Amino acid sequence: MTCSGFEIIDHTADWALRVTGNDLRELLYNAAMGMNRLMVADVTAIPQTHTRQVTLSAYDAESLLVVWLSELAYFAEMEQLVFPVIELQEVSVQSVTAVLRGGHAPELQKHIKAVTYHNLQISQTAQGLEVTIVFDV
Amino acid sequence: MKESDFKRVTPYIHEIPKSFRDDMRVPARFYADGALLETALGDKSLEQLVNTATLPGVVKYALAMPDIHQGYGFPIGGVIATELPHGIISPGGVGYDINCGVRLLASHLSYEEVQPYLDTLASALQANCPSGVGRGGEVKLSMRELDKLVTEGSQWALKNGYATEMDLERTEENGRLDGADPGKVSDRAKKRGIDQVGTLGAGNHFIEVDRVDEIFDEQAAQRMGLFPDQIVVQIHCGSRGFGHQVCTDYVNLFQKVVHKYGIHLPDRELVCAPLSSPEGQDYLAAMKAAANYAFVNRQVLTFLIRRSFAEALRGKVHKTTIYQVYDIAHNMAKIETHEVDGRLVEVCVHRKGATRAFGPGSPVLPDVYRDIGQPVLVPGSMGTASWVLLGTEGSMAQSFGSTCHGAGRVMSRNQAKRSIRGSELRDELEKSGIRVRAGSMAGLAEEAPAAYKDVDRVIEVVHGAGIAKKVVRIVPVAVVKG
Repeated sequence: MTCSGFEIIDHTADWALRVTGNDLRELLYNAAMGMNRLMVADVTAIPQTHTRQVTLSAYDAESLLVVWLSELAYFAEMEQLVFPVIELQEVSVQSVTAVLRGGHAPELQKHIKAVTYHNLQISQTAQGLEVTIVFDV
Repeated sequence: MKESDFKRVTPYIHEIPKSFRDDMRVPARFYADGALLETALGDKSLEQLVNTATLPGVVKYALAMPDIHQGYGFPIGGVIATELPHGIISPGGVGYDINCGVRLLASHLSYEEVQPYLDTLASALQANCPSGVGRGGEVKLSMRELDKLVTEGSQWALKNGYATEMDLERTEENGRLDGADPGKVSDRAKKRGIDQVGTLGAGNHFIEVDRVDEIFDEQAAQRMGLFPDQIVVQIHCGSRGFGHQVCTDYVNLFQKVVHKYGIHLPDRELVCAPLSSPEGQDYLAAMKAAANYAFVNRQVLTFLIRRSFAEALRGKVHKTTIYQVYDIAHNMAKIETHEVDGRLVEVCVHRKGATRAFGPGSPVLPDVYRDIGQPVLVPGSMGTASWVLLGTEGSMAQSFGSTCHGAGRVMSRNQAKRSIRGSELRDELEKSGIRVRAGSMAGLAEEAPAAYKDVDRVIEVVHGAGIAKKVVRIVPVAVVKG
């Protein structure tokens, strides 16, 4: 695992990310950054011209992770918006409120069509939380 | 899993007995030769096959086709049937690209006649058929019109001048699943889909111009209007963001629903509900809407391909018209009647990366194909052969009227990207006479032929096992992808 809290890993048909974090807040943050990295080669080149506020709720922590990343994938597909700056305001097991800042990506190198639940399980390790997320591309 | 976990039933059928895992409700069967079995043991696809054998209501066998590869939830290449009324339907089982499928179109032209203009034709196809991320189509719809489109399927396309009667006759379900309900589809799905009708998208989807390479069944080929060296066209795509969002929405919703029905699953992506439940019925109605969207998507692309042929070839060749051979779905759940242990049973057949392959005499086939069986379209990997097959009595008896759908990946996208450069691959394909028009070189590398199994080997298995029979082999001359 890299110090960024995410790692792109192999999956036969699609793409997957292994994500770690000290707590759920960090896990959600690192997962978003990992997905950004899949979508654009140079995240620092994204201008900060757009702000979006999101409030999402879900059935449990794993569902929350899927709903959260699906929201970011939706912005990317519909408006080519990628958000390098993310402020997670409130996080619980079943909900998240966040402010997203970013802008239009000149080119999306990867179209994340969906975030799957495949073998999705957030596990507690000695270092904190860990999860592997498989994307449909 | 290991080879010794399997019992060889025939040279092409390998069975995992029900005793292999406590939670299996039926045995699992994998159609493969020895080499394909060995390849499949290299990833988690066969464990995923066993997982599908645990689903409530599953009958006879959980099946996997020789082009199996690791998916999420179901393996790609998986087929199960669940007995109605209480057997389950699984949104994750059908997958994200609802009614992803293949259409085969045929021209009246030989390769020799088109060859001098192939570059022009490939460029016209790329210009007319939008592909890649975020490129909308030319069909402009209101939300109300989109609701009509997904309710009526290809009938909508016919009314709006994108289809012929013959196109519809030669489409699975005539391009329309009855019972689609846009009221069961979220606004978000509609927003994602509203400007994507008649677009290819990215990933493994493509339009390919092919040449008929070899004919194995003269009579069936003639019936389909196929002749040696003929120029034909394949479309491979599905329901775009619309279908992906329908799946996303229902997989989310069903995370809670499974508990309500006391269903225990080995993988959360397999979430499902009894088809007799309100939730199961809601998903079925939404899935049908997405399926209809996909039929229209391929139909509008057909219209754009016809336009491309006219633009690129008019005045240069003797005839530019294109007619449809057939259109099939390979990601879908269908309510069908099949024989199970000597009884006729109504089942929900989930085909995840598998093609319906109804045999001769099936009443749902159009007149032109009823006595020979349903055409089955199996695209190979980019740059390699594709196949036209027929459904058989064997597929009806063994595999719920199903067969394979493609070559099947063996190399991950990441691996493919690391080991193959898109631009080099394009040069290689061009050198072998295949025109390539691709939006993204990285995307091209991910779909490199080396990332897939040998499609000819997959076909040998389904032909040998009797769950389809060979009609025609076609080879690519131009590829357009996102």
